Amino acid sequence: MRDVTFAALGRLDAGAAVAEDTFQMDEDAFRVFYDRTARPVWAYLSRMTGDARLADDLLQEAYYRFLRARVTHESDSHRKNYLFRIATNLVRDEHRRPRVVSAPIGEDDAGDHADPRSADVAAAAVRRMDLGRAMTQLKPRERDLLWLAYAHGSSHQEIADTLGLKRSSIKLLLFRARRRLAAIIREAGR
Amino acid sequence: MIECPRETDVFEAIAFGRLTDASEPELTAHAASCPVCRDLVTVARALHEDREAACREAHPPTAGMVWWRATIRARAEAARTAMQPITVLQGIAGACVAGATAALATIAWRSADATSRISDLFSYVAFERGALTSGFGFEHALMVLVGLAACLVLAPLALYITLADD
Repeated sequence: MRDVTFAALGRLDAGAAVAEDTFQMDEDAFRVFYDRTARPVWAYLSRMTGDARLADDLLQEAYYRFLRARVTHESDSHRKNYLFRIATNLVRDEHRRPRVVSAPIGEDDAGDHADPRSADVAAAAVRRMDLGRAMTQLKPRERDLLWLAYAHGSSHQEIADTLGLKRSSIKLLLFRARRRLAAIIREAGR
Repeated sequence: MIECPRETDVFEAIAFGRLTDASEPELTAHAASCPVCRDLVTVARALHEDREAACREAHPPTAGMVWWRATIRARAEAARTAMQPITVLQGIAGACVAGATAALATIAWRSADATSRISDLFSYVAFERGALTSGFGFEHALMVLVGLAACLVLAPLALYITLADD
């Protein structure tokens, strides 16, 4: 391995300035944006991948790509949708990649956090586990649609922008996915 | 596709936790009887609850940490990009050295071949004259080979000194 020389360090310093210039926002603006979006994005990634640790990695990657993207955002909502679009693409890439299946979200985590004395907490944990299992029976696109619409509360236009679909097709796709998930949840509850 | 005009109201009530007999008795009764809204309640309530729990459970790294990692990565990428022209130059230099070596080898081969013929002629003439000059061709080829070997050793060394960092 070659030693790092002063010339190389000088180049790195010059590179750092270049790199920071390439980010689409400064650190203060990023902190504000991150604090507002990190948890919802993490929740989305963890539910879509079914792996909390993978969600951590994808979160970092999503924000990096977001920072490096040379895109002008009309509004804060547009900026947030763009971040979710990056997250969706990362999840799609993950689905294409062969990987070791880990425990679904909620199974072990819910067990750790649940207070056995509280029936409500236990029931909520069971519902989350059922939902986790039900979600795995859906297609990735159905999961994305349902989460964005009902967990994240995105409009049809926002969902279309995030998933790269036509706005006119969202209503029908959403209706079908919803009917399917409802049937699976009811079946599991019997 | 079956639609219900009250879907939006039902969804908003779920999102704000108002879909209960106490707060919205009429809407709750509708949601229980309408098949479209019943599906909506089942799915939206489960997903909403799941998201709330996931957000509570989430322990994302701090903004400062994410920013720092992004900066480090951007630096590394910038450094890699800055190094690219040098890598290309090194490739070109390598190709030149390989070409020059091949050319030298060919010249040396031909030269050795030609000198051996000339030396044969000289030997013949010398033999005729009674003098011993048969070692001339071999010595000449040996010199060319030594020169070639020196080039092979010195050329990469010279390249390294030229292109390496200070």
